[in-house]
Amino acid sequence: MALKSAIRKVRSNPHFLFVHLPHILSFICIVAGVVWLLLLPLNDYSRQTYISENALLPGQVHAYFSGSEQHIFRGYKKELEGVLEGQTAEGQEAWNDAFTPAVSDKIQSILKATGLKVATQNYEYTSSGITHQGQNVYAIIQAPRGDATEAIVLVAAWKTVEDELNLNGVTLALTLARYFKRWSLWSKDIIFLFPPDSKAGTQAWIDAYHDMQPAFVQPLPLKSGALQGGLVIEYPFDHRFESLHILYDGVNGQLPNLDLFNTAISITGGQMGIGTNLQEMWDHDDSYEMRLQTIMRGMVKQGFGYATGPHSSFMPYHIDAITLQTKGEGWQDEMALGRTVESLCRSLNNLLEHLHQSFFFYLLMQTNRFVSIGTYLPSAMLIAGNFTIMAIALWLRTGYYPGSQQASKPTEEQVTTTTTTTEKHDDKQAPPAKADASNNIIERQLALPLTLVVSLHLLGLIPLYIFNNIPHQYYPTATYTSILANFILPLLLSATLSHTLTPHPQQYHLIKSFSLLILGLFLSTLATLNFSLSFMVGLLCAPLSFIHRINPQTTSRPLRYILSTLALALLNVLSPPVVLLAVCWYFGADVETVLTQAAFGWDVWGVWTQVVVWCVWWPAWVAGCALVGFSLFSS
Amino acid sequence: MTVLSLLTLLFVVALSSFTSATSDYHESLYLQPLPQSSLLASFNFRGNESQKSFDERHFRYFPRALGQILQHANTKELHLRFTTGRWDAESWGPRPWNGSKEGGTGVELWAWIDAPNDEAASAKWITLTQSLSGLFCASLNFIDSTRTTRPVASFELMGDHPASSNLHLLHGTLPGEVVCTENLTPFLKLLPCKGKAGVSSLLDGHKLFDASWQSMSVDVSPVCPQPGECYVHVDQTVDIVLDIDRSKRPRGNPIPRPVPSDQLACDTSKPYHSEDTCYPLESTSEKGWSLTEIFGRTLSGACPLTDNASQEPVCLRVPHEREVIVTPGAVETKRPDGFTRCFTLEPSTPFDLTIPEQEVTTHVPLDEPVLSAERTIVGHGQERGGMRIIFDNPSASNSVDFIYFETLPWFLRPYVHTLQASITGRDGLRQQVPASQFIRESFYRPAIDRERGTQLELAMTIPPASTVTLTYDFEKAILRYTEYPPDANRGFNVAPAVIKLDAANGQNHPIYIRTTSLLLPLPTPDFSMPYNVIILTSTVVALAFGSIFNLLVRRFVTAEEASALTAQTLKGRLGGKIVALRDRIKGKTAKKE
Repeated sequence: MALKSAIRKVRSNPHFLFVHLPHILSFICIVAGVVWLLLLPLNDYSRQTYISENALLPGQVHAYFSGSEQHIFRGYKKELEGVLEGQTAEGQEAWNDAFTPAVSDKIQSILKATGLKVATQNYEYTSSGITHQGQNVYAIIQAPRGDATEAIVLVAAWKTVEDELNLNGVTLALTLARYFKRWSLWSKDIIFLFPPDSKAGTQAWIDAYHDMQPAFVQPLPLKSGALQGGLVIEYPFDHRFESLHILYDGVNGQLPNLDLFNTAISITGGQMGIGTNLQEMWDHDDSYEMRLQTIMRGMVKQGFGYATGPHSSFMPYHIDAITLQTKGEGWQDEMALGRTVESLCRSLNNLLEHLHQSFFFYLLMQTNRFVSIGTYLPSAMLIAGNFTIMAIALWLRTGYYPGSQQASKPTEEQVTTTTTTTEKHDDKQAPPAKADASNNIIERQLALPLTLVVSLHLLGLIPLYIFNNIPHQYYPTATYTSILANFILPLLLSATLSHTLTPHPQQYHLIKSFSLLILGLFLSTLATLNFSLSFMVGLLCAPLSFIHRINPQTTSRPLRYILSTLALALLNVLSPPVVLLAVCWYFGADVETVLTQAAFGWDVWGVWTQVVVWCVWWPAWVAGCALVGFSLFSS
Repeated sequence: MTVLSLLTLLFVVALSSFTSATSDYHESLYLQPLPQSSLLASFNFRGNESQKSFDERHFRYFPRALGQILQHANTKELHLRFTTGRWDAESWGPRPWNGSKEGGTGVELWAWIDAPNDEAASAKWITLTQSLSGLFCASLNFIDSTRTTRPVASFELMGDHPASSNLHLLHGTLPGEVVCTENLTPFLKLLPCKGKAGVSSLLDGHKLFDASWQSMSVDVSPVCPQPGECYVHVDQTVDIVLDIDRSKRPRGNPIPRPVPSDQLACDTSKPYHSEDTCYPLESTSEKGWSLTEIFGRTLSGACPLTDNASQEPVCLRVPHEREVIVTPGAVETKRPDGFTRCFTLEPSTPFDLTIPEQEVTTHVPLDEPVLSAERTIVGHGQERGGMRIIFDNPSASNSVDFIYFETLPWFLRPYVHTLQASITGRDGLRQQVPASQFIRESFYRPAIDRERGTQLELAMTIPPASTVTLTYDFEKAILRYTEYPPDANRGFNVAPAVIKLDAANGQNHPIYIRTTSLLLPLPTPDFSMPYNVIILTSTVVALAFGSIFNLLVRRFVTAEEASALTAQTLKGRLGGKIVALRDRIKGKTAKKE
């Protein structure tokens, strides 16, 4: 009964119901969303990983890659080193480690001598005025009794993700190609791919494999069946390694099936006795802080949505892939890595169906602990939900509760305001002014708010175009210009609108309502696709829920100016380009490099993060700023 | 095609016409080492039965089990194929028997059935597939109406049939069928010597199904060398391509472990060559092998049922300069072509054949394939896809005419209007051209959901020295959940396309090429636990949302008002109107109740 009376009390207090309650709810949602995320690393909310697909049988086979294969490894390596020495100018200390035609020819000749089918593919991408071109070399071991329906890909890029020479990785792949050819147990074709770099090459190859390549990428002359999995090997130094670092993030925050990751962990750790790391967490002591940090790093990578390695390009085509990077100085040699790859290939070879059993949406906090989408999704959903709650509350408020000024100065004020508006607008549009307004649905004037919000979203296409198409050296200038433009645009917008159209107070609420509605809608949809991006944008947009036009009737002029200037300052600190600068400063990265990379991601990898930034976040931000601006200019 | 290349075929064809007329049972084995340490072994078994004794169910060389099925199913001509792996035409040259004795991956069956109409033919066809399914331990009974087509131009009658018969051609494939020993055993049982003697004694399931490529065929057709003298001819073949290295591995130690380092063949000329660094040297000499090593057993003498003992059932195609050691007693005859030699067999005396490793200067010439074809599924996603077929004509001067035949399962819905063609010359320039430039004629029979698949037959011409790419888009149907197989996420097999090249150079028989089979991923529901969880939570959310939404939007009225609203009398309706009017004037006061 106490509850019932409390509800009754709320219902009889419209000001609380329409003005305070949504703010409280929104705030609770945001806090709950953040707290939820912070709870995830606890044992009660996360789970131990497990192999879901029984066919994988990780580590159940003996890996035979050892013994004299190492002699051949050394032979191949000397051969490649010879090519590198040959292409180095006289008197130069370091090798010219570019992927020249000589290197390509050597790799091809080794593969051909082994009896594989070899082909090449040229590609050329242009992004931000920089041309990326190269030649992929690849070879196929045809499954002895197979019929080209399924295949596994093994990638060894000539340059690693950090742009180091991956000589050991490439040599190991060549040795494995020769070794795998002897086995008759392959049920799937094995494709060995040698792209010249870790950024564009794999993308060009996989696009062409599905016949989706752009004009400057050659089609593939040689193909196999549906790709079932991909492995990337990186071994960029000469000494022995200590542990394997597993990269798994794909483009746009897509992830490989958790089973593939688990298989790799199970084989490296369980069968081979090699330590594993993820997300560059070298000293993971399984404490709460370390787990949270791992999750955060994973979320940052997922949120930015860029390709973290050659494996990332496979993900959009629903091909699960991971990168194995050797790290540290220890006592594991290339043969240990070779056995790991052999065992992984054997596991993938066992697959009867495409990897589908385990999770595609997860956050990893340790090599053997994860949270699945059902557990973490509410976090981003709550944050996205806060905008929706506020938007719906504002919509109701514009319809049922004209505004807080009613409480203090009823009827007359309202009538005067409406009559002034009616003079400027068409008579039909005028809201019916009634003494007993709280009991009636007030007619909403939708034209201005709708036009404004829609045009702001369309306006987002302009910075989207600019930031993906200008030459790279102009990116810092463009960033600073956009900060300035972002400062001026909302003020200009509010000044113009308040002097030309003199919007009704209700319309300010409607502008905010629509803007937040779209934001909430986008973010909650995005949360299911790319949780991290939705979460991050949601947090950065959180102030937008609580920023209003300050009513000139209730607040004195100086206070209003001080408040709105403060709010504008806060919002400008949270504008997309300023956040970009802050992130660059935090990670010690160069703005030009970051933006060039982003444009490359847009052009080559098909990264959608910019679209979210410029067409979802930015319009909502401008609308919020404009609302604050209105309180400066409206009389 | 060179003259040399034809010899294989001509030799066989000549023998075939010769034996079919004079003898009742004949068998032969033809061995040819192929590049990349492979060995083609082609077994052939032919038997005859006069039409009269066949009709009287008096079987001598014709297998009774098969004969009774054919009679029961009114089948006049039967072609059954079991194939695994792919023929590597690039390295191995043209296919054995010009592809006429192989099928697509899995099982392929086509037959001419004598029936008054299509329905009767279909009924007999079902009888035939069900019976053969039992006979060959294969899932042939899954060839239902959705997998059956009636090709128009792709297959021709092999035998001589009376003009009065009303024959119906039916064709079915099972691309996903795994061919294994359970199919070989019934196959061998059809032979008169049943794998106990003769060349068939070499056929061991372990070795046969370790081959890189393998095809078994059964062909039955009536042959009338002279009017009024007719035979029912059964022709069985087993063609395998064995990997010599792999087959020579002992059965007790089949794992290809790394060789001991002192046995590595290294290129010692490399400057860095040392104890622990080795650049592998690929051997250039021809591999040595023997029948015992390759097949794991010896050939246990000639089959006594072959009526002419002076025949030479084992033939080997290696350069004459190569040394061949055979069991004493067997007589070797060298053919004048410089490459072929044949051996006679003694009854019930084991026969072995050994070829030592040897450096050779001459190699058996291999032809260029007349046409190479590749078919792949392109695009990605669960909804749409595309088919891409690439035809490459390597000949510099001759264009190639052929019939392209494909059957698509009904859940793959092609858009034939999207059929596009492009041509790439040897200069690498690709240009779009209308598909009609290459397609002379087309026969298209659209699919009916759950009843029959799409049938597409195109008569095409590919100009010399060019590569033609055909593409069309398709849509993937969504199946009912019971229609998914247990391994739904593997994808669905699409049968290989069949290409029939018109007989050239005066040959009687057309050349057949088959593409590889395809795997089509369909939109698959998640049949697992999370799926159930999602379903359950969605239901709970829907229930919660429904009831709350209901509470929010419902207008609460008093019982009298409600009865007035629902009353159908004039007074009641009037009362209802008044209540509604009052609500409109007063706003939603009723809600405040």
